[in-house]
Amino acid sequence: MTELKSLSEKILRIRLSQMMVNENYKEGQFKIPIHLAFGHETFAVAINEIMDDEDKLILTHRNIAYNLARLGKLRPIVDEYFLKSSGLDAAKSGSMNLINPSKGIIYTSNILGNNFSVAVGIAMSLEIKQKNGITIVLGGDGSLEEGSFHESILMFKSLNLSGLLIIENNEWSMATKISERRIPIDLETFTKSYGVKYVQFSGNDPIDYVQELKKLKELSKKNNELICIELMVNTLGDWIMTNDQNPNGKFINYHSGPAPTVDVKKCPALIRENNSDPIFVLMDLLGLDDLNKLSDKIRSELEEEMK
Amino acid sequence: MKYIELVNNLLKNEVSKHEQLVVFGQNVSAGSCIGGMTRDLSVPKTGKIINSTNSENSLCGFGFGMMINDVSSIFFMKQLDFLLLGIDHLVNTYNLIRNHENNASFTIFPIVMDNGFQGLQSSSNNFADFCSIARIKGYTITNKIDAERIISSKLVSPGFRIITISQRMFKDEIIIPEELIYVNEENDVFQYNSGNDVTIVCFNFSFPYGQQMVNILRENNLKCSFFNVNSPTPTNWVEIINDVIKTKKIIIIDDSKSENLNCYALLTDIYDKVKLDKKIILKRNINDSEWLNPIDDQMNINYQQIVNDLAG
Repeated sequence: MTELKSLSEKILRIRLSQMMVNENYKEGQFKIPIHLAFGHETFAVAINEIMDDEDKLILTHRNIAYNLARLGKLRPIVDEYFLKSSGLDAAKSGSMNLINPSKGIIYTSNILGNNFSVAVGIAMSLEIKQKNGITIVLGGDGSLEEGSFHESILMFKSLNLSGLLIIENNEWSMATKISERRIPIDLETFTKSYGVKYVQFSGNDPIDYVQELKKLKELSKKNNELICIELMVNTLGDWIMTNDQNPNGKFINYHSGPAPTVDVKKCPALIRENNSDPIFVLMDLLGLDDLNKLSDKIRSELEEEMK
Repeated sequence: MKYIELVNNLLKNEVSKHEQLVVFGQNVSAGSCIGGMTRDLSVPKTGKIINSTNSENSLCGFGFGMMINDVSSIFFMKQLDFLLLGIDHLVNTYNLIRNHENNASFTIFPIVMDNGFQGLQSSSNNFADFCSIARIKGYTITNKIDAERIISSKLVSPGFRIITISQRMFKDEIIIPEELIYVNEENDVFQYNSGNDVTIVCFNFSFPYGQQMVNILRENNLKCSFFNVNSPTPTNWVEIINDVIKTKKIIIIDDSKSENLNCYALLTDIYDKVKLDKKIILKRNINDSEWLNPIDDQMNINYQQIVNDLAG
């Protein structure tokens, strides 16, 4: 129960932090584009839990949940979004390239698929420097369509480098569903053809995620092998767009910008009433009363931090 | 000694000095070893030589990834046009790295296909465009002096750069200039002769033409200053401008196929400082589709006509 409570607190902190960012965003306070990651909180916390000092985390434009998880604070990230010198990267990165080398986030790319090969280089550098760390790299389902995805798997395997290659599959790339732009890709078969172990994550159970990730990380290190993890995730914050072209409304899956339907005043920060929302899973695991108390505590702490 | 033998010897010597250095590329330690360029390279045991996959885009990212985590590397590449696949990294990845503190070295070392016979590939004798796209430092190697200077000071040095050699000159005897009169701090502007009659400035891989020009002018009792600009993009060329202020006559030779000829940037700077009495610009005349075909695209320079022009 202690571990669950600790993980839940971290998950809630990321959710509420994002909600506070979203409120600023809705008011038009940011000049830079931000890709929120409602729905990604549990996996981000699990990644943070398994990381050791020498591990490296390589992110994408949708990095807010991971940066919040690694940092454990909101203020430096919001300051970065406001392009203040007090920002996490002294206003050098903004949102889509935000790094935090002191916490192992040494490269973040805003270019689809760009970061896979950089991750191979980082994995090689760990070997050259005889470090015990592992490289963890993330991409979205859209990045499977880039040649660098194939090239980088080939290089990871040819060079016998350990690593966790995580594909966050939310089934959307910007405003198009996978089915609107390409044939399905069977990632398990694809990776199997390279001799890469494939594992799928879904359901947002924090204990399961942490335990399974720990096992996979050790396996990867022990065998000097790449492991591909497909994370089935919903990026929450969708809305219905109504205009002259769509008088009856069109479903818009959240991609970037403010999420107009997400409201910070809701408690305990629930967005969707099924397992695609990590908070819904926590309601089931902790009970609504405990979750509400925890939510109130974190909200109060965040408000104090942001004063 | 041939041009490529000298380059190979200098590379062997330099890479053997650096701990934790990773040398990689297609055929870097197999087959022809990239036409002999990388034959018998050996790095200290703390480093690695990787005969890599054919994944140019990802190989660029691979080098930058090592650089981010403080490991130096060199990516040897058979042809400059292969680097077209890595442009995303040259721009986006490099921009992130240079916006943060970093002490590692990453060098991409391609061969410019400037002999014409490879047809479409040879149209990519445009090193300037690769460097200009993200303000990347670049260096051409044209003779014994600049080869020694550039490889010893730039091959493994903090930061990122591209160093190129010429396919056309591979089997030529390496040119050994008589003396080095001046080199700028960046090691990308070299002066080999000094005289009052005319200033000769060579760009890209046109150094041999310039050396020939110097010799013919000397036979005709004309004394010239001779510079080679090894950077494909504007650099610190104040010594060239000072020399042109003295001679008021300039001969420029630029054998690049880029539309961004670096010689025009120099001329713009010169026009700000001096009114020229004579200006001769020798560059490729690309008027039709022939330049895309497999041809011998050596520049045909009528040296005697230039002598007459200067004398007149």
